[in-house]
This record gives sequence, structure tokens and C-alpha cells, in this order.
Amino acid sequence: MKQQKAILCCITTDSICPVSQAEKALNGGASMIQLRNKSASGADLYSWAKRIQELCQAHDATCIINDRLDIALAVDADGVHLGQNDLPAEAARKLLGSKRILGISVATADEAKKAVASGADYLGLGHIFPTVSKHKSSEPIGLERIVEVTKTISIPVIAIGGITDDNVCDVLHAGASGIAVISAVANAPDPENATGSLSQKIHKCRQ
Amino acid sequence: MYNLTESERIAMKEPLCQEVNNPYPAKVVLPFRNSFFLLITGMKQVNKALPRLYMVSNCRELSSPDTQLPELVSTITTHLPVIIQLREKHLSAKALYDLTLKLKAAARKPDRTSLLTINERFDISLATNSDGVHLPENSCPLARVRSAAPDLLTGKSTHSLKDAVAAESDGADYLFFGPVFETPLKKRYGPPMGLDKLETVCRNVSIPVYAIGGITPQNTNHCLKHGAYGVAAMSIFSSAQNLARTLDNFQSSLDR
Repeated sequence: MKQQKAILCCITTDSICPVSQAEKALNGGASMIQLRNKSASGADLYSWAKRIQELCQAHDATCIINDRLDIALAVDADGVHLGQNDLPAEAARKLLGSKRILGISVATADEAKKAVASGADYLGLGHIFPTVSKHKSSEPIGLERIVEVTKTISIPVIAIGGITDDNVCDVLHAGASGIAVISAVANAPDPENATGSLSQKIHKCRQ
Repeated sequence: MYNLTESERIAMKEPLCQEVNNPYPAKVVLPFRNSFFLLITGMKQVNKALPRLYMVSNCRELSSPDTQLPELVSTITTHLPVIIQLREKHLSAKALYDLTLKLKAAARKPDRTSLLTINERFDISLATNSDGVHLPENSCPLARVRSAAPDLLTGKSTHSLKDAVAAESDGADYLFFGPVFETPLKKRYGPPMGLDKLETVCRNVSIPVYAIGGITPQNTNHCLKHGAYGVAAMSIFSSAQNLARTLDNFQSSLDR
């Protein structure tokens, strides 16, 4: 993971071919792609992951697989991203070794501390703002939580949930090392342009 | 390729148990066919006999799977050596991980004859130090799984001769072939394959083949006579009124 620049992570959505989503996002300037699909077969996931890993390499970006550590190992992806209902982080860390990346979804400072202790390389913190991508039972955690978590954590924190061109600078100023988006890119009329626009915003508000 | 040690070579030439009479001699000389199968692919499993009875889990048939499934596993493994496959596609990885640890604790395997495998998710198998992984039809490619997790016992579900031959050449340790008989669970795979197709597959691969689909203690012996190494079943274990008797019947069919 490149930490000098803010991370722009695009997460794939189930309804569109993930390879074409990744391709557009990378062309637009994404630095990380997360392949996320909860319903696809192992065969499909493997072939998508393999192609996305190749695309990421060509763009000097990071390829992360959501949940399926088996697929990540099979394609030798850069890493895996796990939620609180996935394989325990400690167990995943052992299988990944020290070179592959482990990302963990957290919503609170306690979960963040626990994830760091379990060997996480970065955290996905959210959801920050109301979001349409996932049905959420919990309330958005807001910018204050980014401040709270990043104060005590030294690994990169990637903020997720309802992040757009309009609020991306607030998120980074609050202390996040980067952002992750699903619908802001996937549902945009032109996903490549949408990624490019976010990328430019990130660059400008960091100055 | 794993190289056999001298003692393993000797062990392979000397059957450890009585040979099952095979009325259908194979085209090629197959050292393992219908004799005590010695697993030679994984370092962990070297010299371990593969059980002939295979149980595939089905939590949906149980009202409280978290306690009933470990109980079922405990009862079965106490009775006879068995391969248990945890196949619960609806569970999250965390739930699968937790359930696997429970099953490992419940399995009675004083001599480590029973084995625990996980459907598809070889990461969970590795993380829980289980024995193997079983790959369904539309899985991550077998050869990739083999190279990512070389020490795991690796099985593959097949529904045609072509798939079976391909799975063997990709490095499978054993195969499922079916549905051999009529089964409500596998209607989507079309009509049953029957014993003749089972036999064709068994003649053309040299790894153990488990017959699956509508398996009962009564038809088990037919499967063995047609070349199957063992039998695999799902519903019969959880729905059996008298599990001990079902297991006894399987045991005597498999020993015959």
C-alpha cells in the first residue's frame, strides 16, 4: 500500500461485471480495488480476482479480496478485507503471512484497537455518512469517530460510507488516510469520470 | 510429486486388510483399487487410510445445529471411521470457523482415522487445522487450491467421466461421483447416473471414488461392486430414526 498518497479504494458491486468496474476505476485513478461479491461461485470469483489482480499490477494499484481468503491465496492477491462476521483476524493473519495485506472493517474505537492487535495492516472505518450501498441497521458514525479512532491508531484508516466529492475533504481532514466507495463510482453514469473526479478532489484537499 | 519412502513402498505392496473381491478387473493395474487406500499426497496424511463412509453435513435439517451437529459427529465417529464434510453454504465464514472448531472437538478419533473436511473454503480448513477441503462443481480451480494448500486432503465433486478424469489430473485425492441413485436434493443435476456410469468412472481413474446420491446401507454394496471406494450421504444421517442401526448397516455393507 502506498501511504504517501491518500488511498482511493473502489469496491465492486454485485450487479455489474467486477472486472469492467475495476478497469474503469483504475483508469480513473483508483489506487486500490476490493473485489466484493457475496453470491458468486468460487469459479467466477477466481477468474475475476485473477484478472483484477493483473489489472491492478499494471496500474501499480492494490488488489484486495473481500471475505474469501481462499480466493486471495489462490490468485496470490495483494490482500484480503474481512468484516466482523468473516474469518477471525488472528487466524487470517497467520495464513496471509507478513507480506500480504489484511484489512479489517470496524465501526468503533474498541473494534479498531482489537483489529490492530490482531495484526491488521489497515482499517475500513464506517459507515461515516448515510449510504445507499448497503442496508444498514446502525446509525452513521460521523466524522468525530474518524478523529477518535485515528488519534490512537497508527495504521492507515480508510473511511467508508456515503463519501462523495462534496465531503471527501472533510473525511481526510478528520484524519483518514483514504476513502473507499461503492455506489459513488459503481452507480455513476460514467464510473471512470466519477473516480477521476474523486481522485482530483483528494489531491486538491491534501494540498 | 511426493516421493515414497521405502517403508511406504513396502506398505503399499502388502495390503493391510483383506481385499474386497472385485468382479470387474480394471484395465490398468491400480495399486489402491479396492484395497486399503494409502494417501500419499499430503505430508500430514501420509500412510493414513481413507475411511469408506463419508458424511456431508446439512444443518438445515437440524433444529439446533450448533449442538446437534457436534453430537451427530461424536456419535458417528465413535461408531466407525468416517470422513465428515462441513457443507453449510448459508453460514458466514466466522460461523463456519466456530462450527468447525466444535466439530473437531466432538470428533472421536483416538487413532485419527476419521477426517474432517470443509466444503470449498480451504482457508477455513487451514485456519482450523482440519484435514481437507472438498470442492463443489463451480469451485475455485482444483490445481490452484492444490498449490495454495498442498497438505490438505482435496476432493472434488464430479458428474461426468470427463470431469472425473480432469479432476484426477488436476491433483484430486478422491472424487465424488453422482447422483448414482434418485435423490430429491440433487434433482437439478438431472436423472440419476446409475451404477454403469459409476463403474465407467471408477475404471478410468485411479483415485478413490465415493458414490453419492440416494445412498443407503442396502445399495452400498452395489456401489462397491461397481468399483466405488466408498459411499457418501447427507440426509440419511440426520433423518435416521435409529442412527446406531443405520451405522451398523453401513458398516456391514462396507465390510462385506
